[in-house]
Parts: sequence; structure tokens; C-alpha cells
Amino acid sequence: MKSLSAVECGVGLFGDLAMGPLVEVSGVSVKFGSFLALDNLSLRVMPGEVFGLLGPNGAGKTTTIKVLTGLVVPSSGKVNICGFDPQCESMEVKARIGYVAENPIVYESLSPRDFFEFVASMRRIDQAAANRVVSRLADVFDLAQYFDSPIATLSMGLKQKVALIASFIHQPPVLLLDEPLNGLDARSSRVVKDLVSLHAQRGGAVLFSTHIMEIAEHICTRIGIIDHGKVIAEGTLEQLRSKTEGKSSSLEEVFLKLTNEETSVDDTARMLREAFLGNETH
Amino acid sequence: MKLTEAWHLSSLPYREAVYRSLAQERNRMWWGAFGKNPSNRGTDEDVELSKRALRIAKFDKLVVAMFNLVVSVIPFASLLLGSSGLGLTSAVSLSLILTFGFMTLHAIQTLSSFVSAESSVLLSTLPITSNDFSVVTLFSFVRSVDYLVVGSVLSQVVLVAYLTLSPVATVLMFVASLMNSVFAVAVALWFSRVFHKNYLRGGRSKRTTLFRGFFILIWGCLLLGVGLLLSMPYYVLPVLDKVLLSVNTLSGILLSFVYPFSAGLAIAKLSGSSVPLVTVFGASVALAAYALAAWFSAKWSLGTVKRISQGAGVRIDRLKAVDFQIKARGPLRGYVTKDLRVTSRNPATAFFFALPVFETVIVAFLAANYELLRASTVIVATSMGAIFTLLVPLALLSSEGKGIEYAKTLPITPKRMVASKALITMATYVPVPFALVCLSLFKPLTSGFSILIPFFMVISIVSASIFEIMIFLRSVGRSKIAGIVNDAEKIFVGLLTILVPEVAYAVVYLSSFNHAFAALTMGGVTLAELWVALYVLGRK
Repeated sequence: MKSLSAVECGVGLFGDLAMGPLVEVSGVSVKFGSFLALDNLSLRVMPGEVFGLLGPNGAGKTTTIKVLTGLVVPSSGKVNICGFDPQCESMEVKARIGYVAENPIVYESLSPRDFFEFVASMRRIDQAAANRVVSRLADVFDLAQYFDSPIATLSMGLKQKVALIASFIHQPPVLLLDEPLNGLDARSSRVVKDLVSLHAQRGGAVLFSTHIMEIAEHICTRIGIIDHGKVIAEGTLEQLRSKTEGKSSSLEEVFLKLTNEETSVDDTARMLREAFLGNETH
Repeated sequence: MKLTEAWHLSSLPYREAVYRSLAQERNRMWWGAFGKNPSNRGTDEDVELSKRALRIAKFDKLVVAMFNLVVSVIPFASLLLGSSGLGLTSAVSLSLILTFGFMTLHAIQTLSSFVSAESSVLLSTLPITSNDFSVVTLFSFVRSVDYLVVGSVLSQVVLVAYLTLSPVATVLMFVASLMNSVFAVAVALWFSRVFHKNYLRGGRSKRTTLFRGFFILIWGCLLLGVGLLLSMPYYVLPVLDKVLLSVNTLSGILLSFVYPFSAGLAIAKLSGSSVPLVTVFGASVALAAYALAAWFSAKWSLGTVKRISQGAGVRIDRLKAVDFQIKARGPLRGYVTKDLRVTSRNPATAFFFALPVFETVIVAFLAANYELLRASTVIVATSMGAIFTLLVPLALLSSEGKGIEYAKTLPITPKRMVASKALITMATYVPVPFALVCLSLFKPLTSGFSILIPFFMVISIVSASIFEIMIFLRSVGRSKIAGIVNDAEKIFVGLLTILVPEVAYAVVYLSSFNHAFAALTMGGVTLAELWVALYVLGRK
């Protein structure tokens, strides 16, 4: 195991990477009381990959990401990030991940500047390197007007930008992004997509959960469809299409087909038509 | 809209405000932890918290109202026990001052959720008129201080009725008590509003920092005043009596114009006490003016609540940052800085920064009463100061809020988080030993070794903070009842940690009559405590 002082300085961790998977989850189950949130879930993300995690609400996407960050302890199974276990070697893992939560969790009374200072201090980042990343991203995300305002006063999208910059500040090899485009405008969404792609091109790994099929279709190199805590399908878009015997053309169709929600969506649409347009049709 | 309907509907924004303040405190509650299991319960816990918010708030309000009741009764204690040494004037005045201070402090803590329009947002989307909306918001505001106000008004009125048997004096007490509550709520509302505005303004200018510091200082003075009066009513009462009832003293006449002494004097006169005529005249004129001021305060409070409910008021100034430079510190310094920033920007925790002043004055006040600084005096004075310090780690924990979830994803060990809080706690106590050293320049010490006591206490406070936080961390995932037990346990262990070394000093001295040996023992015990605390922390 490497010494903490060597790895805590996050910038430049890319050089340490092996050629194996940067994220590996094998047979992980998570129970919340009697509720099985993850059921024997397995997935791998290789260097240079953007892995999209798709699934209906409550499928287990956020829980999967929280297991990887070490925030949720799995009941069984193995988790590995850059060769380290998030439970036993949490410091090693935390030094190598950048995390954006579904709802940006930040100290709301701090300003973005205060918050970045906190994150940079915790991660022991060289001040010049931290300033380089923060300055560029804050400029790109147009944060000048908000840089010294309390985070509590910022909109959802601005909070998301702050969380995104904080996750990139140490340029980690693994990015765990839980619905990172929530609340972002079109321009900022584009910036995030570019950042994610660049990160993968540099050899990093990205685990990206989203509800937006279009995004997954465009930026993810591989996609995992998760339902009821299980990965029910995994592969490139082409591989997923082939699993539906070529009957689905878009990722949305593939998704609905694989999660058996195609019929249910049709039924719901019919019910809505009846409920709202019933009088007119009669 | 009927008033009953508005009252019923007001539970919605009230519940939201209560939930918000409870959710802020979710990591630590004075009356009991919420049973937080950080690993596997996120949303479930929020649901549970929102369900229980009103019940928990009622319980909290009841406990605080009971405490306020006790506070309001303390100044009357000697009169109730039949002592003739203390007069009704000072008892009434002191009771009003104490309840004013306590209500203001409590209201500042609870009203911080009301000073932004957020808790009323949901209601504002419903099809009700703006007037009805304001009434509903006003009622939700009243709900947060109802028990407190009713409790103090009732206790003061009943006590005056019992002691004076005068209906007019009782009515005057009722009016004075009501005015007192109006002033307290208005001051709290103003304070919270100003704090909130200052907080929203953001920015990094020296002016902003100075402004914040100034308000923390005002807060500290308020706390200091209430604390001193609460701790020492029997030192204060006789002095008050003497000043207020002396015929020819200018200070007595001047005090008759000052609230709440004017109320105290008027009530005493109505109950048959011999109060100088000039003082009664001054008190009557002042009371009329204060009644008018109370009327305007009430109007201002209602108007402010109305403006808040309609989302008007706080303007957010966004100053464009001139650069994006950040300052990276080491993890420990970074965490301490973060803790200081977060705590100083929350009205509910900011006043802990006034503790060093408070502790120093308490210690100096206690020690100043003696000709010589004996070891026993130093022990009592340092303990009094240290007891207040035990609240700091709990405040620092509660200020973490939801941010702790994020902090857990950063490469920082729990040891550093605990160390940061222990260091800040220690820093709030550091002025005490130096105050005692300064005092020893004017008052001779019976033994030079006894001046080491407060310095050893600094080490003891570090250990006590570590123990308190460790017990808190152990409580994670427990039920409410277990949480209450746990809160008591935290305070008990904290107290024990600061008292054991002092007891060791006392015992060793009493058996050997050697201050050097006693100080040596105390130092040994504090170091042993620190070793145990660091060992426990290391194991975690």
C-alpha cells in the first residue's frame, strides 16, 4: 500500500494508474432494513471509459455511487477503486475520486471561494495547481458574480457548478457523477460533457448516472442499465440494441424494452389521455 | 378566512420552519440525537424527521418554556420564602430582565428560519389573498414563541398577584410582562434579520468581517448580561434595592426611567412599598413611553413578518469577484478555518465566539470578590469558565449540518475533524488562564503553583472535547430516547473530565498541604486524561 502522503496530493495521480479496471464492483448487495437496494450488482469501468448508469427512479444508481465513495457500506460483495477498497482503504480511495452528489451537498454558508479553499486544503493540493483548475473552471462556468456569495443563495444549477469544480479540483483518475447535469443550462451542460470526455481521453474513468438518454447516448462509451438493484444489461449502445433483437433504435427504446416498461409506459399514456381528454373524446 | 382556519393552516409554514431548523441540527440535538446512521439512511431519515418535527418542536418548546419559567421565578425566591431583605422592585425588574434576555436568545435561535421567506414558499402558491397569507404567516411565527411567552407572563402575573394581593399591580405586571415579550421578540427579529442580511451579502471585504464581528460581540454582551444576572441574582438584588429606593440618589432617579426598573418601581408602589415620589413620577412617565414603544415594536414586528412572508425585504448584493484565487492550507488548518467560517455565519452558533469574553468576565468576577487568590478560588473560577466551554464542541458539531456528508468523501481522517473541533474549543478557553495571571498581579496568590491550575485546565478541556465528540459519534444510529441519554452522558463525561484534575489537586493538597505536589498531581492527571483521549481517538 502506498503511503498516504504520496497519494493524498491528488494532482498527477493519473501516472500511478495500472491498466486494469479503475472501478470494479463484484456481487455487491446493499440492504436498508428489509429493502434490498442493490442485489448482487457487478460492474467495471476501465481507464478511458465513460460508463453511463441508467435506471428508473429507485433502481439503485445513487446507492451504487455511494458504495463507491464509501458513504454506504455494502452488506456483501467487493468494491475496488484504483486497486483500493473504499471501506478498508478509504483515504486512498477518497484521494482518487471526484464526487458530485445527486443533490449538491456543500456547506451552504460558505461561498464558492471558501468551499474550494476547504476542498483544496483537505486534499493537500498545491496552491498554484488548485488555482489553475479553479480559475479556469470558474471562468468557464461564469461564476464571477457568485464567487463570494453564500452557496445558500445560489440556484440549483450554480450549486451544481460549484460541486463539479470541487470534484475536478484535484484532477482525480475516477469521477463519480450522480446526475451531474441537474439544473445546468445548455452551455454548462455542454462544458460538463466536454470535461467528461476530456477526462476519459486522458485515461481517467467516469461513472455517470443520468436519466437523460440523449446524454448517455452521446457521451458514454458503455452503458449499464440498472433495475431493482441489478445490472440487467451492460455494453455499448450497439450491444444493447442487439439484446433487444434489433427492435429498438434509440437508447430510450432499448431502456424501456429492457426494463419491461414499454407496455407500462403505453398503458400510462392511455390512462392520461382518458383522464384529461376523456370528455372531449366522448 | 376565519382566524381558526388561519391558525390551523399556519401549522404548515411553522412545520416547514421547524423542520428546517431541526434538519440543520440533525447531527446533534440538545434534547436528543435523531438517530443518524450515515451509512445507510439518507432519505428515510428526512422523512422520519419531517414526520416528527412538530412533536419534537413541541417537546423542545416545553422544556425551554419550563426553563424560562424557572428563570422568571428565581428573583422572587427570597420574597416567597419570606425574607424581608429584598424588595419587590428589584425582584420584578430582575425577573423582567432575565426573561427578556432568555426569550431574546431563544427567539434568535428559532427565528432564523423565519427571516427568509423560504418556509412560506409552499403556502404562497395556494390561492389565498395576501392579507390571509400574512395572517397565516404571522400565526406560524407566533407558534414558535407561544409557550415561552405564555409561561413567563403567567408566572410573573401569578407571583405578583400572590405577593401583592393588589389587582392593579397584577394588571400592571401583566402589561409589563406582555411588553417585555414584545420587546424580546422585536429585538430577536431585528437581530436575526440583520444577521441574515449580512450573511446574504457575502463578500470578503474587511467591512463585512468587521460588521459580523460587531454583531457577534453584541450577541456576546447579551449572553454575558443574562448569564451574569442568572448566576448571581443574590449579589445583584440587594445592590439594586439600595440604588432604586434611595430618595436622594441621582442614580436611583435615573434608573426609574430605565426599563424594566420603571415597571418594578410602579408595581412596588402600587403594592404599598415606600418608593420616593420623584422616582414614582419618573417611572410612570417612562412606563407610558415604553408602552408606546411596545406598540410601535409590535407594529414593526407584524410589518416585518408580513414583508418576509411576501418575500420582500432582503436584497442580495452580488459583488463580482475580481479574481478566482484560493488559498490552500493544510488539512487541519483548512478544517479549523471551515469550522470557524460555518459557525460564525449561523446565528444559532455564532454567539459561541463570544464565550472567551464571557468566561473571562465570569472568572475575573468570581476571583475579584476575594482579597487573596487562594487555590480554592482559582479552582472554582476556572471550573465555572470551563463548564461553558463544554458547549462549544456540541455547537461545532451541529454547525456541520448536511455538509458532513460531503466532508466524508474527502481524504480527511475523523481524527483531524475531531482535532479541529478540540482546538477551537481550547482556543475559546485560552484567555481564562491569562486573565487569571493578570488578576494575580493585583491580588496576591497564596501559592504561586495555584496559577498553574487554569493552564492545566486548558489540557483538560482538549480531552473533554475529544470525549464529547467521540460519545456523539458513538450515538450515531440511536433512537431519540437513547439520544437524550447520550446528550446527558456527553455533558457528564465532559464535566467529569474537567473536574477530576481539580479534585485531584484539592485532595492531594488537603492531605499533604503542599501546593507544588498538588499542582504536580493535577498536571499528571490532565496529561493522563489527554493520553486516554488521544488513545481512544487513535483507535477510532
